[in-house]
Amino acid sequence: MSPQATPEAPYVAAFEAAEHDGAAHDPAWLRELRRDAMAEFTRAGFPTARRGNEAWKYTDVRPLASTAFAAPAPDDGPGELDLSPYELPCPRVHQLVFVDGRYAPQLSTDPPSEGARSSHVFFERGDGPIVGRLAEAAHYDVPLVHEHLGKHAGAAASAFASLNTAFVRDGAFVSIPDGVSVPEPIYLLFISTGRPEPAAPTVTYPRVLIVAGRDSSATVLLSFESLGDGVYFTDAVTEVVAGPGAKLRCITLQRESTAAYHISTTQVVQARDSAVSSVTIDLGGSLVRHDLSVLLAEPGASVSLNGLYLGTGNRHVDNHTFVDHAVAGASSDEVYKGILDESSRGVFVGHVLVRPGAQHTVAHQVNKNLLLSDEAEADTQPKLEIFADDVTCTHGAAVGALDPAALFYLKSRGIGEAAARALLVHGFVREIVDSIANDAVRQYADEAVTAALGTG
Amino acid sequence: MLEIHDLHASVNGADILKGIDLRVGAGETHAIMGPNGSGKSTLALVLAGHPAYTVTRGSVTFDGRDLLGLAPEERARAGLFLSFQHPIEIPGLRLDHFLRAGYNEVRKSRDEDEIDVLKFDRLIRAKVKETGMDAALTKRSVNDGFSGGEKKRNELLQMTVLEPKLRILDEVDSGLDVDSLRSVADGINRLATPESATLIVTHYQRILSYVVPDAVHILIDGRIVRSGDKHLAAEIESRGYDWVTEAAQPAPPSVAPTAGQS
Repeated sequence: MSPQATPEAPYVAAFEAAEHDGAAHDPAWLRELRRDAMAEFTRAGFPTARRGNEAWKYTDVRPLASTAFAAPAPDDGPGELDLSPYELPCPRVHQLVFVDGRYAPQLSTDPPSEGARSSHVFFERGDGPIVGRLAEAAHYDVPLVHEHLGKHAGAAASAFASLNTAFVRDGAFVSIPDGVSVPEPIYLLFISTGRPEPAAPTVTYPRVLIVAGRDSSATVLLSFESLGDGVYFTDAVTEVVAGPGAKLRCITLQRESTAAYHISTTQVVQARDSAVSSVTIDLGGSLVRHDLSVLLAEPGASVSLNGLYLGTGNRHVDNHTFVDHAVAGASSDEVYKGILDESSRGVFVGHVLVRPGAQHTVAHQVNKNLLLSDEAEADTQPKLEIFADDVTCTHGAAVGALDPAALFYLKSRGIGEAAARALLVHGFVREIVDSIANDAVRQYADEAVTAALGTG
Repeated sequence: MLEIHDLHASVNGADILKGIDLRVGAGETHAIMGPNGSGKSTLALVLAGHPAYTVTRGSVTFDGRDLLGLAPEERARAGLFLSFQHPIEIPGLRLDHFLRAGYNEVRKSRDEDEIDVLKFDRLIRAKVKETGMDAALTKRSVNDGFSGGEKKRNELLQMTVLEPKLRILDEVDSGLDVDSLRSVADGINRLATPESATLIVTHYQRILSYVVPDAVHILIDGRIVRSGDKHLAAEIESRGYDWVTEAAQPAPPSVAPTAGQS
């Protein structure tokens, strides 16, 4: 193999091979979308510069850029997979499972509920929700996909989002028609086999498009899990479009292997009076970066952004959020909390932009970090840009250890050191876990967090 | 039950307690009174094992054990309870979960089985009724957003659940109106048994009208300068602390009148 000129070159080669092999059936607009994205990725390159690179100044992706990741081999299918550890504690779930980036039909389910039409019939406009494959939706040229795919993630443009788009072939497409409430959680499960050496590191490009119609309502859980502890790279993009009055709750649970790279780009666009709740929980990964961007495009839109990140070992978790108050009368409420142990590092950069004329904006932002070791580190940076004068904006940040007064209070009731610390840590995360409205998803996330904290 | 001998303690290098001698027997109620800065709260916190305070001299025996050799949680399990002057707010930790954790730790230390959520729920509902607290508070975060009175009732609830042998009440009446004071005092009195004891730490006499002490000790500048019966408290109430300060002599050893053996 000849030496590669740039870290991007192998991706270009993989792109050309993929386009050559199996892209003929895709609609022309999709092929063009991919090709444009590849050009953009090649132009921008991995954000490895250590100077003048504000968006990545806390997070060094050079180790990622210099690792050779290959597409998972076609015969790497998981065979029989036991999904019981990932089951949601409720009887009915719309579930789509992808293993190493490939749709796993035998693991995916659709509840036999009224109103939930077969997800695979895209050409027939049903009145139920669609929880289906992006590949099929693209194949049948579903107008919503054409309209929205790749149109929103650009706002938070990064090379990683472009890279994902360049390889978009499949993923999850969720569409909730106007006026429809989906009571069951919609569960999008992305599993990496995460084979350790000598298996080559692999890369997958999970892609999700969620379109919620007027006055619709749904809960979507995106879960990233790993079966092994190998090195791999998950480059995820999610686009969320909330129509007028839509109520959408999106929960992301990231539990990748401790050697994995997880980079995600999420763009939320909200219409009038829509309410979106986003909860991002990071329990795994080696290097983790989320770019979460919300456009409050019309008056009355409200968003709550909650996040929890646990750091152990050398984990590096970087949350960049951007809330764009583009119009008057929208609100945002943001609470991110980190618990950082050992040599881990947490980064939070919360950017709130209140554009000229966006009067009566309400924007609150809080980032709190609990440091459990002397080596752990937290960087927190609020960025408020306010160009309107009649607004309510607050922000707060805290980095500290467990409160000794609280520890003593618990001990004075007979609770030992370890149990007291565990109770306080659990108390610290409670607010974030409780921000998940759906009972089954909250319970599932709670158990995942409890297990990750390693204490009862 | 509690024997304090020549106890000296300091915080950040400053001597606060300068030789305390005190004996509290089973079935007794003692009051420690003193002006601000006299070391009353320090005494309570030192007995509970607060890590900020360093004992520089002296000994404390509790129920026959060397109290100062025990960690705070071990003191609690041995039956010592401190009702905090300023109870701590802990957002995110539900009061009933907190109480169950403490209750089960105490049980474990006595080689008793832990009790499950349902049984504890029944227990706590009964105890809440006894203390006159709002039951809904037990499902909320510990002291988070509680009023001053609710916090003090919460201390009483914890004391009622944990059933300690020695109750140390640090300024238990602060933040209470007259009706709440009476009700909290009733709760304290109900907990009194011939096997347990109460140590009330207070600036003001008013709690002592409701929880009547067997002995009153005046603490000034880290020393007990005078001991007497409940009438001493009334005298403080009418004359203040200055006359005691002026009359203060080096405290004779072991001045505490004891109505029983520990």
